[in-house]
Amino acid sequence: MTENWKNEAWADDIWYRGKVTRRRLIGWGAGAVGAAMLVPAPWRAAFGAAKPYKVGSEQPLSGAGAAGGKTAVVGLQMAADRINANGGINGRPVELVIVDDESSPAVARQKTVKMINDDDIDVHVGGFLSNICLACMPVWQDAKIVNMITVCLDTTLTTSACNRYSFRLHDYAPAQAVAFAPTLVKMAKKWHIAFADYSWGQSTRDAYANEIKKNGGEVVGTTGIPLGTADMAPFLSKISGDFDGLFAIFFGKDGVTLANQAYDMGLSKKYKFAGDGSISESTNLIAIGNKLDGFTAINRYIPVFDGALNTPYLHHFFDEAKKRLAKVDPSGPLPDKYVQSNYEALNAMKIAMEKCKFDSRDDTMKLIEALEGLEVKESDDFPQGDKTLRKEDHQAFIREFIFTIGNGTYHLQEIVPKEKTYVPPACKFQAA
Amino acid sequence: MDALSHFLHSVPLDLFIIQTVNGIVAGMILALVASGLTLIFGIMDVVNFAHGELFMLGAYIGVVIVAMTGSFWLALTASALIVALIGAGLQIATLRPLIGRDPLNTILATFGVSLILQNFALWEFGPTVRRIPEPLGTSFTLFYLQYPWYRLFIAVLSAAIIIGFWLFLKHGKFGVWIRATAQDRIMAQAMGIPVPLVYTGVFAIGAAMAAASGVLFAPLVGVSHTMGLDWVLKAFIVVVVGGMGNLAGSIAAAIFISLLESYATIWVDPSQAVIVSFVVLILTLLFRPTGLFVSTPK
Repeated sequence: MTENWKNEAWADDIWYRGKVTRRRLIGWGAGAVGAAMLVPAPWRAAFGAAKPYKVGSEQPLSGAGAAGGKTAVVGLQMAADRINANGGINGRPVELVIVDDESSPAVARQKTVKMINDDDIDVHVGGFLSNICLACMPVWQDAKIVNMITVCLDTTLTTSACNRYSFRLHDYAPAQAVAFAPTLVKMAKKWHIAFADYSWGQSTRDAYANEIKKNGGEVVGTTGIPLGTADMAPFLSKISGDFDGLFAIFFGKDGVTLANQAYDMGLSKKYKFAGDGSISESTNLIAIGNKLDGFTAINRYIPVFDGALNTPYLHHFFDEAKKRLAKVDPSGPLPDKYVQSNYEALNAMKIAMEKCKFDSRDDTMKLIEALEGLEVKESDDFPQGDKTLRKEDHQAFIREFIFTIGNGTYHLQEIVPKEKTYVPPACKFQAA
Repeated sequence: MDALSHFLHSVPLDLFIIQTVNGIVAGMILALVASGLTLIFGIMDVVNFAHGELFMLGAYIGVVIVAMTGSFWLALTASALIVALIGAGLQIATLRPLIGRDPLNTILATFGVSLILQNFALWEFGPTVRRIPEPLGTSFTLFYLQYPWYRLFIAVLSAAIIIGFWLFLKHGKFGVWIRATAQDRIMAQAMGIPVPLVYTGVFAIGAAMAAASGVLFAPLVGVSHTMGLDWVLKAFIVVVVGGMGNLAGSIAAAIFISLLESYATIWVDPSQAVIVSFVVLILTLLFRPTGLFVSTPK
């Protein structure tokens, strides 16, 4: 009955027996795949037969971290395209092998093993969610592959959980807390901390509690809110007591929820409101509107050109990243720190690979030595600013920006130089 | 007795009232989400795994309409209507051919639809969280908190939608057809009721209710491609506790579980209070598997 329409005369143009057979479909499919294989990859024309460096990258392209993962890939691809357009690394092109970790540590570990065994990657540049970075670091160590972390902020990655194979070219909570605590204590003496209740949120909470205390302030209470909580009202309505400042540590969608609901329940007006800059990423401000006005935060990158940030490097980076982000997201967000740190991480890897004449995974130890103590200068490769990748714990120190939000946009308050963010190393490497 | 009295007196009154309000508001939102889910199961025997994605799709359509017209109310009604049409299309294309087959087929089909809708939203709208501004921006003082009127408004509007739907089931011609089909599908068909049309209509109504809750809830959390997942798990718990397919039971269960969770937060961390709903679920499955609010078959 349902197939009768195919026998009608009018249906002949779109369907009749023999026009689309399975055999023909398979034949056309095979032809299309063959043609696609013959079309050269973009870098092939420039590099001839040079074997590409395979750079693996684990990113959350679906699940809870998808919003940040998508922009992270923009930064990575931007760096790879720029490197390939300028002669590659050691005359060889860069080929990105990007995998979706689905925001799940279990999936991430499986895909890490796949990148190592099946894709045969040379190095890894990626990692977004801290629990995933923590889960995969031992796998990179066992495989003796250099792992350049690009977004994960958990403190322990370069302290108690550190290993010789993993590096972090961006900041971490203890450094941000050192830079931000004097401002916080000037804003209020007694603080309550609300945090995303998982590895990054917990370690960041501890770092700020420590530094606020060192600067003469006090943290009188904390509230942990699990990742992905849609209705934070039960948590927020318990926040009360004798304190003047509310400090929030959230990112992504949870940052949007916190900002909206803290405003709706009057908390962000009742208390001095400050927090980690991840809440106020440009990609979040679209959904928060003016509800974050008055919020003071710290971040390693903000898309403004006030004062010392009016550099040609930041302008070049901003223009190119904005153009690429518009292709990924029709709302046209401004670049964020996820784009910046992925972009700079691959550029740093290039410098080290050239310095040690890296050829393959067999040269991993030479690459580690080249990265240890690496100093890079503010440039088109590193628009965020100068960086020092400390040998003792593989943690970078960089300048930080303290800003407030007003009328839904950023207002730079202070630039904290990298020298004022130093924290003593707290890492003991096992023998490699 | 003294111990109980002492225990009750130890509860701060302000926190108790705040958590009661929180519980009722969360319960009404959950009831609206769960009522669509339980309706579809009650009539069609389909466990709709794509319900959360219809919730999300409604919110995204709301974003587009608000951007075009600036009207929240138009967004609310139009997104419910558009998602109802999409729901009807989905039912005709994916579920109607599976009528009479093993329930696992419909579970897999709706799960597949949920993945497609989620990835479509990510592709079409991008990863950035979007916003629907709330129509009521004011708040009132509730002890030490500023409580937004919009939260109470959501609860009242959810109740109004559910009551309107109940009246439609009770007195509307299509409502009578739905109830007849729910009671005895074969007899209803024998009496001339177009059962396939009822199925399509029921799926469309369920989808519209999911979309309406998506638009209503969007101002509180922002709109993202994963927003449906946050509510649909709880909605499933509510549907099981209330009695699969029992509309009144699901509404009662939504309020009951939300209130229990809210009261639990007075003594324990709110993240631990979530355990309450799972405990209720397990106890229900053990001792009243047909649901807390359904009479146990003799």
